[in-house]
Amino acid sequence: METFAARPIPAHVPPDMVGDFSLFSSPGMQPTPNGDPQAAAAVVHQGPRIFYSPVNTRDGRGTWVITRAQDQRKVLQDPETFSSHRSIFASALGESWPMIPLELDPPDHGKFRSLLNPLLSPKRVMALESAVRERAIFLIDRIAAAGTSCHVMEDFAFPFAVNIFLRFLGLSDDRLDEFVRWANALLHGDNVQRPAAARTIIGFIDELSAERRRRPVDDFMSFLVQSKIDDRPLTDMEIRGTGVLLFIAGLDTVAAAIGFDLNYLARHMDDQQLLRSDPSRIVLAAEELLRAYPTVQMIRVATRDIDFEGAPIRRGDYVSCATMIANRDPLEFPHPERIDLAREDNRHTAFAYGPHRCLGSHLARREIVVGLEEWLKRIPPFRIKQGTAPVTFGGHVFGIENLVLDWS
Amino acid sequence: MKIIVHNDKCQGHARCWAMAPNIFELDDEGYIKPGDIDVAEADEKLAWKGAKSCPERALEIGK
Repeated sequence: METFAARPIPAHVPPDMVGDFSLFSSPGMQPTPNGDPQAAAAVVHQGPRIFYSPVNTRDGRGTWVITRAQDQRKVLQDPETFSSHRSIFASALGESWPMIPLELDPPDHGKFRSLLNPLLSPKRVMALESAVRERAIFLIDRIAAAGTSCHVMEDFAFPFAVNIFLRFLGLSDDRLDEFVRWANALLHGDNVQRPAAARTIIGFIDELSAERRRRPVDDFMSFLVQSKIDDRPLTDMEIRGTGVLLFIAGLDTVAAAIGFDLNYLARHMDDQQLLRSDPSRIVLAAEELLRAYPTVQMIRVATRDIDFEGAPIRRGDYVSCATMIANRDPLEFPHPERIDLAREDNRHTAFAYGPHRCLGSHLARREIVVGLEEWLKRIPPFRIKQGTAPVTFGGHVFGIENLVLDWS
Repeated sequence: MKIIVHNDKCQGHARCWAMAPNIFELDDEGYIKPGDIDVAEADEKLAWKGAKSCPERALEIGK
């Protein structure tokens, strides 16, 4: 665990609004064998609807924590008051430029979303489905042929999600392992690994965009370098900011979701059997698993002083809207601790609320559903391999490692 | 039954469309098309479920 010089709690935060929960250091957030960090984070619902967590970002900053889904919706639907511009990637390099569109605010944000939305719309994703399924089948058949156990993240989740992402970018699989390493170092590395990975990824994106400018083909980067916003081509920094976001968003999140889902099914044979016997339930079940095991926290920066549900938020304060917290809000979901694969009325926030709703959400959903469908079709009833323990962790992006499944 | 569409709140989750693609039509970006929706009596239950599926609360059930 990295340590940081403690930052003083700002003077405007009333002492009785300081809480001791942190997505980075509370029980269950550190790497934990057989852990359940999303359930562990739900402990905040025993406390107030908003509190101040003194150390709640990767670089040791304090944030307000919004616990109720209804309040998170208010924050995330109001980008004028709660800005998303905080250069989270560039700051690892001591620089300040936005990942696009995530770290742009309206009205610029909308222009980039309008450019990119059609590429990942529900209808476009339908056209990608056969390639997604083909890839899942290839990987799972290979696993089934190789034996009666596997390392889910290394053998399936990462190569599956990363391949779909590379295909979207128009790249071959050759450098797949390298990409996974970059993403891991960036998202989960220390203070030395993160900037190094950030520079590597920038170098890669810059090189790719330069190449596609010279020789455009039919792929995402060629589209980007030929696109216009307000009747002008995108700047190099805009292309970099967009490419970097796509890289980060596409690699880790879907793989982590598939890992958490298979971990859950391995431990709940009744639910595994339910989906096995009636695969038509998987679409709805995937929504419940997205509710129960989301992986991301949204952080916003207050653009002005505002009293929000009794909290004196001041300009510049960080406001955390953690998906795993809103998704376990008992006021939004009856018995949120119960995982009910037939749950209806499931308006979870795995992909956030507001204008920054995950651009890749439709593709992510298809990848998860198709991954589960083909896994259950091709792998016999599976459990956690005896003598092994998956390791879960919280933090900025939740994850799971060392997930070894067995069906011998 | 009528569904009142608040386009300013739609963020393209497309959950309504996933529930009832013939009732809730999307534009090329994947956001709901403007204009309130008149629902045929036979479709009311499905439309109600679709409207209730919106994470942003962009769909209001009118009379």
